[in-house]
Amino acid sequence: MLDKLKADFDGIIELVSKTPAPLQETAFKMILEQWFIANTTPKPAPPPTAPPAPLAPSAPAAPGGVPDLVKPFLTANAITTDILEKVFHPTGPAAQLLASSIPGNGKANKLVSLSLLLCVKQALESGSFTCTLKELRELAVHYDCYDSTNFSKTLKANKNYYNPRDKGADLELSGPGRKKAGEIIKSIAAGE
Amino acid sequence: MDVAQALEDVLEELVSIQKDVNKLKTASVSGQPLRKRIKDTHKNWLPVVGVLETGNIVDTAQLQEVATAWTALVKLANSPSPKKQHKALLKVIITKTESELLHKFIKGSAIQTIGDPLRKLVQPIADPELLKYLDESIRCAETNCVRASVVLAWCAVAHMVHRKLTSLGIATLNAEFAKMKADKGLMFKAFTKDYVFSTDPDVQEAADAHLILLCRFLTYLDDTQYKHLKGALDLRNGCGHPTGYQPDPVKLQAYYADITQLVLLNPKFA
Repeated sequence: MLDKLKADFDGIIELVSKTPAPLQETAFKMILEQWFIANTTPKPAPPPTAPPAPLAPSAPAAPGGVPDLVKPFLTANAITTDILEKVFHPTGPAAQLLASSIPGNGKANKLVSLSLLLCVKQALESGSFTCTLKELRELAVHYDCYDSTNFSKTLKANKNYYNPRDKGADLELSGPGRKKAGEIIKSIAAGE
Repeated sequence: MDVAQALEDVLEELVSIQKDVNKLKTASVSGQPLRKRIKDTHKNWLPVVGVLETGNIVDTAQLQEVATAWTALVKLANSPSPKKQHKALLKVIITKTESELLHKFIKGSAIQTIGDPLRKLVQPIADPELLKYLDESIRCAETNCVRASVVLAWCAVAHMVHRKLTSLGIATLNAEFAKMKADKGLMFKAFTKDYVFSTDPDVQEAADAHLILLCRFLTYLDDTQYKHLKGALDLRNGCGHPTGYQPDPVKLQAYYADITQLVLLNPKFA
């Protein structure tokens, strides 16, 4: 895969150079992320060599790890497994949000943070960074950041975080949305 | 119809009308455009109330109260009427719609659909003994008995923990409890109880908190897994005793995700 990346790298840089300077970093990350999605193949199973004998019986294997489709997002945002484990449990299918409170000042900011986190949660489940409005409303009520009269307005005011959609349709994270989600995950893990 | 979205739209418009009414410098609401907006919003409210009436999610009495306030507001809007009366009715409609209808609807619709994600989580479980508890637990959740659902699901966890520990043999189990008592490590130094079991059913008399601690001692669970399972047990205890705590469907789903992963589908407990 590294050889292919080397071969494609000049093309990626050329594409990035066509975007305005302030957006080049984001563009680079997005393109690289998509490249990984397109080129990542499941790793072959490791050879059955005998592992070093454990001192005590090992802990149970976690059922299902991070889906491959999420790995580029984690890499692009410098999110390690340790960081992810502080925010979601488990870090694969059936992931649950661990945070007891959602970061942000005021209900609107919290709602946006929550929507981004739910999209990542769904990605851990299925690989797609999406979230239904039904789930968002339910979780927003749970986390006390649901403001009914401003729900749509808040999502509309932060539409750059989501791919274009019709009213009432599911949310899907855009490039800036994924970047912001990465920042939120890191801030929760850092205990901020 | 997306009821939540429709209610949000009605509320958004009502709040906007409320602001405009508050801004009026006259004692009455006489302007035709403002009165028309009230009537138009009422027209958007009618199909929503129709859907809410046919369902059983929201309290009929609360729905009736909002409907009565709407009728009075529309009557006021038919001709120039005192601003004070408008303000009072708008306040009732907005407050009740938000807290008693919309919030209840969101929570209620979460209850109506909670069965699917829970069944998905327990789908890989084939043990009929466990399914007996889990099926009953999920049916409780679907009828909004969330606390009962939590307690019944824990029965499946306790069943599996008991079965695993008794499979060691009573003599070994007694010996492991004694070893755990002697362990002065951070995790175990607070455990001081003497347990001497004679038969398998005796194990059921032991505190679940001690049994899962033994599972940690025997390394069926690591520290993080133990911490989450202890959290699940705390929730079960909060639901199984008279407390004011009422978990919502979101909490229940997280609880199910934990117990299935940590015990029910954990190969260490097989």
